[in-house]
Amino acid sequence: MSTDAIQGLAQHDEVAPPIAPRMDPDPLTGPSFAQRMSDGLREVNQQLLTTQVDLQKLAVGEPVPLHELMIRLEESRISLQLMLQVRNRVLEAYQDMLRMQV
Amino acid sequence: MDYLQTFAISAAGMAVERTRVETAALNLAQAHTAQSADQPAFQPLRVVATGAEGFGGLVRAGLESVPLPSVTVEPSGVPARLVHDPGHPLADGRGFVAYPGVDPAREMVTLLGATRAYEANVAAMNTARTLALKTLEIGRST
Repeated sequence: MSTDAIQGLAQHDEVAPPIAPRMDPDPLTGPSFAQRMSDGLREVNQQLLTTQVDLQKLAVGEPVPLHELMIRLEESRISLQLMLQVRNRVLEAYQDMLRMQV
Repeated sequence: MDYLQTFAISAAGMAVERTRVETAALNLAQAHTAQSADQPAFQPLRVVATGAEGFGGLVRAGLESVPLPSVTVEPSGVPARLVHDPGHPLADGRGFVAYPGVDPAREMVTLLGATRAYEANVAAMNTARTLALKTLEIGRST
């Protein structure tokens, strides 16, 4: 089969092979996994607390822009869901290890 | 994370539409406030939303930045509407009372357009949110 007609495609950047993403920071020298987990947890917790403060402000009648409050609520929800998914993965990996025959 | 940026963009759009609604509401509320003809008090306002702050601003903000809409409220410069009402306490020597030159039909159209544009922003934000939540379902076994 002749592929002469599509040879020119190779000159375009769009079909260049993907460059492998560089890990930053390096997983070997950077902070440990547990450290990252607790950092992420703290971040999610901080976001939930901020949302709670905003809700309290709305409840006592302070002028809070409603759409910004709703958007922050959604951001908190997505952060929490992401955290739950990470937790599920970690737990699954742990249980797989536990079931491993020695 | 990148979905936060989409949320911020939609929030900026919603803020613009809210400003348009608030301005239209103020114009409608002031439409029938009388003022003496020689010293007009209220000018109908108009919202001017611009996409970016010029080439210099874009260069300063850098390549990664998103030009969010910025909004200013300016007097529209419509001349006051004169009504002949000699018995009015604010009437001038010739018996005229001035009212702000608010066009109710224009304000209603502004309200409708702002409502639809706001809904469009909410739809864009909901789509970004759905995408983010769907992404978290990757690899879910159940």
